[in-house]
Amino acid sequence: MLIWFLPTFLVFLIIGLPVFFALLAAPGILLWLNGQTNDITLLYRNVYNGMDSFPLMAIPFFMLAGELMNRGGITIRLVEFSQALMGHLRGGLAHVNVLSSILFAGLSGSAVADTSALGSMLIPAMEKQGYTRKFAAAITAASSVIGPIIPPSGIMIIYAYVMGESVAALFLAGIVPGVMVGVGLMLMIKFMADKYDFPVASRKYTWGERRQASLKAFFPLLTPVIILGGILGGIFTPTEAAAVAVGYAFIIGFFVLRTLTLKEVPEILSNAGLTSAVVLLLVGAAMAFKTVVSLSHAPEQLASLILSLSENPLILLFLINLLLFVVGMFLDAGPAIIILGPILGPIFTSLGVDPIHFAIIMSVNLTVGLATPPMGLVLFVAAAVSREKVETIAKAILPFLAVEIVVIFLITYIPAISMTIPRITGFAN
Amino acid sequence: MGGLASALAPIAFVNETVLRLGRAVGVVAIALMVIAILIQVFFRYVLGNALPWPDEAARFCMLWMTGLMAPTAFRRGGFVAIDMVPLMLPRVVGQVLTLFLLVVSLAVLLVAVNIGWSEVTGFGGKFATAALYLPTSFGFDEWFRIPRSWMMASLLVGVILLISVNIELVLRSVVTLMGGGHLLPEIPDAPAGAE
Repeated sequence: MLIWFLPTFLVFLIIGLPVFFALLAAPGILLWLNGQTNDITLLYRNVYNGMDSFPLMAIPFFMLAGELMNRGGITIRLVEFSQALMGHLRGGLAHVNVLSSILFAGLSGSAVADTSALGSMLIPAMEKQGYTRKFAAAITAASSVIGPIIPPSGIMIIYAYVMGESVAALFLAGIVPGVMVGVGLMLMIKFMADKYDFPVASRKYTWGERRQASLKAFFPLLTPVIILGGILGGIFTPTEAAAVAVGYAFIIGFFVLRTLTLKEVPEILSNAGLTSAVVLLLVGAAMAFKTVVSLSHAPEQLASLILSLSENPLILLFLINLLLFVVGMFLDAGPAIIILGPILGPIFTSLGVDPIHFAIIMSVNLTVGLATPPMGLVLFVAAAVSREKVETIAKAILPFLAVEIVVIFLITYIPAISMTIPRITGFAN
Repeated sequence: MGGLASALAPIAFVNETVLRLGRAVGVVAIALMVIAILIQVFFRYVLGNALPWPDEAARFCMLWMTGLMAPTAFRRGGFVAIDMVPLMLPRVVGQVLTLFLLVVSLAVLLVAVNIGWSEVTGFGGKFATAALYLPTSFGFDEWFRIPRSWMMASLLVGVILLISVNIELVLRSVVTLMGGGHLLPEIPDAPAGAE
């Protein structure tokens, strides 16, 4: 009977119950009907124990670091650096948009932060240069999904915690897929630029000017080096690296660039705290939900159902990608990972798919879902920033989504794309 | 309608005031978390001395930050949900559904507060934290070991605040359902997103 908590949960979710309550209500009701009232207490305990975690602390820290970097005027330095490198190409500002997203991804693990920070700067600039507003908003939204793929990444910290994987391994596995999404988008821009005669953003920068722009962007660009270098070098845990990133962003903003003021600090802390609090509660609820998933033997039953469709892992991975893509259309990446990770992860691991590889497939697919209509969160943010209709951006983004879907399938069927760096560095088998 | 609106005003005022205080404490908590972990890193790698308390102190702060700030996010509509169905339905049906969902949420919270109270006051709460102490004399020669229940109370307080917010949202939903939506004061600030 307990297996019924999954359909009950889905019904709650579809009719609009907040994910946090749905994660607790569905198993709670079924446990109560089953007479397992003591296990309801276990649900509560697991919410608390799920939140009481040192690795989870990296989430508020990375959010805070991103917020400090953004307020500290670091975004404009990244855009200027990108323009110095790529502004002279046809479709230059569109390329700059994508390259800035790749660089921004090394500082912040959030697609929403990327869209709002880069969009507010680049969409008006692109419009001024003759791009349509819908195109500018579409490429901003499409490239922002790189944010949670390239480390640091909020959703990968969540996945690693909920599924008991190594954060460092997931961070490393996300580097190449994130860059691939960026390169794919740039190739599509090049194709469109040649076809539609996109404008050139600026004259070619001299090497001296490029060096100047590099120096201005030097300190922000050092952040991912400190984070990943610290983790890989065994100096910090990911949580400590995140705290160091906060300290670094604070020092850069206050003492090096002098763009932050003390007056701004409470609001920055408050924004990071509010966003993190929701995520932490969700993760706590997910840990409780995971307990009931195990108690109900749902993964085993779902596994036999899925295996009845096909026993070929390649076909199953194709089907699971379709499922994830559809889920991503309606649900944000974080909650979707929290819900589906404990159910799907064990099934595919038992089929011989490496858990790190599966984590990347899931993370990239669901992250792309952030930019897919009808509920893609970054589409709404891009619409707000550009004052363009969501439907219009949703049509303009289709060529870029096609590129991202191709990348998802490449990542799915060529494990080496995501697994090579973790294996070389000894973080995966 | 007038009665409901007058019942709503004090609850909204209390929520606004208490949650503002909660956010202020949450802001301090997140700052302390960073400081604690940076101290941990500094002592371990620079001074070669691994301190026992920063890890637990930072978790203590994180739990309280979550308990005190999540209710603000809930009040501002920042709890992640798929709200397509309530929006697609005819206005009145959608509002009835919204009210139903709030009642389900309230039921979850009431069960949680009941369990939470017995957890904090029960066996588990009687243990002490591993490394957190408070000085009880000016000479720092007497220390009080912080009980685990002080950490566990963070979730209980969070649930109580969520109940208070939920009651306000239920009342707002009833007023809206009765056609008095225009009478409701705006809840300040934009939604806080989870992604």
